[in-house]
Amino acid sequence: MSAAHQRQLPLDLRLRDTSRFAGFYPGGNRLARDAVAALAVGSARTEPQILLHGPAGVGKTHLLQAACHQGHERGEPVAYLPLAELAAAPPLAVLDGLERARLVALDDLDAVIGKGDWDEALFGLLNRLRDAGCRVLLAAVAAPDGLASPLPDLTSRLAWGPVFRMQAPEEDDLKRILAQRAALRGLELPESVADYLLRHYRRDLVALLQLLDRLDLAALAEQRRLTIPFVRDQLARP
Amino acid sequence: MSANTLWTACLDRLQGKVSEQQLNTWLRPLHAEESEGTLRLLAPNQFVFEHVRDHLLNAIEGTVNELQPAEGGCQVRLGIGGAEWPQEAVASRRERPAAAEPRRATPRPQGPVSNLNPAFTFDTFVEGKSNQLARAASLQVAENPGVAYNPLFIYGGVGLGKTHLMHAIGHSILARHPEGRIIYLHSERFVADMIKALQHNAIDEFKQHYRSADALLIDDIQFFAGKERSQEEFFHTFNALLEGQQQIILTSDRYPKEVEGLEERLKSRFGWGLTIAIEPPELETRVAILQRKAEQAGIELPSEVAFFMGKRIRSNIRELEGSLRRVIANAHFTGKPITLDFAKDALRDLLAVQNKLITLENIQKTVADYYRVKVADLLSTRRSRSIARPRQIAMALAKELTQHSLPEIGQAFGGRDHTTVLHACRKIAELREADASLDEDYSNLLRTLSS
Repeated sequence: MSAAHQRQLPLDLRLRDTSRFAGFYPGGNRLARDAVAALAVGSARTEPQILLHGPAGVGKTHLLQAACHQGHERGEPVAYLPLAELAAAPPLAVLDGLERARLVALDDLDAVIGKGDWDEALFGLLNRLRDAGCRVLLAAVAAPDGLASPLPDLTSRLAWGPVFRMQAPEEDDLKRILAQRAALRGLELPESVADYLLRHYRRDLVALLQLLDRLDLAALAEQRRLTIPFVRDQLARP
Repeated sequence: MSANTLWTACLDRLQGKVSEQQLNTWLRPLHAEESEGTLRLLAPNQFVFEHVRDHLLNAIEGTVNELQPAEGGCQVRLGIGGAEWPQEAVASRRERPAAAEPRRATPRPQGPVSNLNPAFTFDTFVEGKSNQLARAASLQVAENPGVAYNPLFIYGGVGLGKTHLMHAIGHSILARHPEGRIIYLHSERFVADMIKALQHNAIDEFKQHYRSADALLIDDIQFFAGKERSQEEFFHTFNALLEGQQQIILTSDRYPKEVEGLEERLKSRFGWGLTIAIEPPELETRVAILQRKAEQAGIELPSEVAFFMGKRIRSNIRELEGSLRRVIANAHFTGKPITLDFAKDALRDLLAVQNKLITLENIQKTVADYYRVKVADLLSTRRSRSIARPRQIAMALAKELTQHSLPEIGQAFGGRDHTTVLHACRKIAELREADASLDEDYSNLLRTLSS
């Protein structure tokens, strides 16, 4: 069996794991998770709009994807927009007709706010979504005021519903998440190695998970286990 | 929707082939309709349509034919459009025929259904000094539509209740004349509809649609600025309505004469009826609004909490309500009663404090400025107390406020070892216990950096 083939299964598992509520490690974000999960199923007591903010790696995208997945399971059309990737496209074209979905998730708002026609187009979209009774999830690095949109009309609409600041995972949380993700790949990550990673690499979950991908691949290629010398050696490589 | 067994099965199978993000961005927004031998997929817009056509259609067709390998197979047809959804505030969305090439709908004939927000009535409008004139004028218009003041032009900052009043007038007219046609829309919708009508040679239907309204309510008219063709069209619609004694209600964020990029003749006509301002609510009104909203939500909001929130959030009512929703959400999900501390805690996420991105450079500069030393000194090898202490504080702040690792922080401070950073953090923690003035310095810096 080729190495590439062996990798297929765990990689697939990981992808799904990062897009389900069940795979979300709440840490300090239990409230945000519960609120988003309630919005995803459109339960009567929830708000039609929620904004999550915080730096990369705190789980915003995970919650947005999980909500879309959940909405889809309920048989609703949903739309997830990674705005950072769509920033170069014409805003009106990208946002046209989205009120046809029942749940719309706009990720990376900060990547487009203040750029060209995006603010006005987003303002128009939020109005249409609200008029159409569509549920809305928003994610950005900062709270509405901190995003500094030149359009106050947009800023105030971003704050229409509850705003949650996502907490960065504590070191213990990070270690637990890393161990869990490693286990999903069939890798054993000893606590000492996890400690080493946190001390010598960034305490940023996105970066750590990417590193784990790299280590996974290298461990497989070199038929090694995750030990401190092995990891140190890998980190030293470009 | 559950009838779409083929499409559901197809999406399930595609889960293994495309990423979750691709599914959520391009495939799950599609609305599917199945009839014998054909799977029609409707994209919400041209942009999604093109992406799916160019990148994913092959995979979809392949999967569909795997699932239905019958003779002739199943034909997949891609178009633009969507489903009817029950909550018909969207009386506008008629289904569009799926075609190989996208077609745009002409403006739709609207039945007697209005798209007014049921929550926005005069009963739910909280009156205060800042809005009582606007409210009184709105009541007059509601009683004598087309006669009292035409047009009624309400202006004021964002989130002060202009849309609420506008809808309240609409409801009130409908209550007296249930057969009346009230059309409410944002100005950008008017622009978009007009462009579509022009593209499809349907401008006559477009005109007919708007001119047949008993009351036309257009929100945020300032977004007409610079859109000359729309202004031209609106000018004629405006005149026709006025002549027919049909009511026009407009809102804007500023006085009509101050809207830049708006034709003079429009500005002057906007002033023919009554132009009225709505001001930001004073504290008492903000508190009354919060209490009314809480009551509607069935929530007990202690008045000290309402006053705290009313004092902290002055900008506008929309944000005030947003913050109340956050407090209510917290109460709902934690099951705890709403107290002052509880509210402070819940609102920390909204108030801009701590929301800025904090970089190592930023910390170094702020600390250097605070202690009147140079950033270069902080990064140097100098070890005199006057430099070493600020350096240690900067390191401790970096550890507390950023996600950088100790070695990274050390690197940023002139290539120091991570044990040096660790030592600095411990030292500062100790000193903050023992030395009140250092503790105060640290707190000041923390506040400066995170606000």
